[in-house]
Amino acid sequence: MKNSIKVQRAIQNMTQAQLAEKAKVSRQTINAMELGKYVPSTVLSLRLSVIFKISVNELFELEEQDWVK
Amino acid sequence: METNYLLSSKFKRIGLIILIPSLILGLYTLFTDWEPAFFDANVLGIFIEDLSGNNRFIGTVENNILNEILGILVILGGIMVAFSKEKDEDELIAKIRLESLVWAMYLNYGILLLAFLLLYDFSFYWAMVFNMYTMLFFFIIRFNIKIWRLRKSVSYEEQY
Repeated sequence: MKNSIKVQRAIQNMTQAQLAEKAKVSRQTINAMELGKYVPSTVLSLRLSVIFKISVNELFELEEQDWVK
Repeated sequence: METNYLLSSKFKRIGLIILIPSLILGLYTLFTDWEPAFFDANVLGIFIEDLSGNNRFIGTVENNILNEILGILVILGGIMVAFSKEKDEDELIAKIRLESLVWAMYLNYGILLLAFLLLYDFSFYWAMVFNMYTMLFFFIIRFNIKIWRLRKSVSYEEQY
């Protein structure tokens, strides 16, 4: 799964630490998501969508491999 | 997300204070058979089978209770260290916690399987004694290494 967290963060001029605080997670979680190493829960995805004021579908994108069982 | 099955983060330190001395003392008593007479006591027991082959459902047994006390402290301290919340506990840490727990279980039973195949009599008994505690230790070690690496990787990352 791809995400545009890093881009959105840049647009809103937010540091990883600031986003982490708003989203109520640790900085390492923000970092791991941006690096594609961690897929967030639905609750965290929705929090990010509220913080960035965009829809979840704009923030996350499925990839081919996400359909592989 | 709120997890209700973990202890508050302050228990991690309390757990370490209990675990470290009782673990050192426990290993010492195990290897040296140290049983000071002060700890000899008559204690309540169930399903008692004594050396002469008499079975009792319930009764008192004479026993040196030092190893019982240390065993209990190691388990309680170990559980506090293992299952206290991290200060920055969140869903990624919860995932690492779960992975580490499964990994520790595989390793612990893997060792027990090897012990079944290779160890007999008293050697097997000792493997079983250690196996009771190693699950917690494997978990604590693996979980903390993973968390430490995670935090280290972030401190190298750029802020913006």
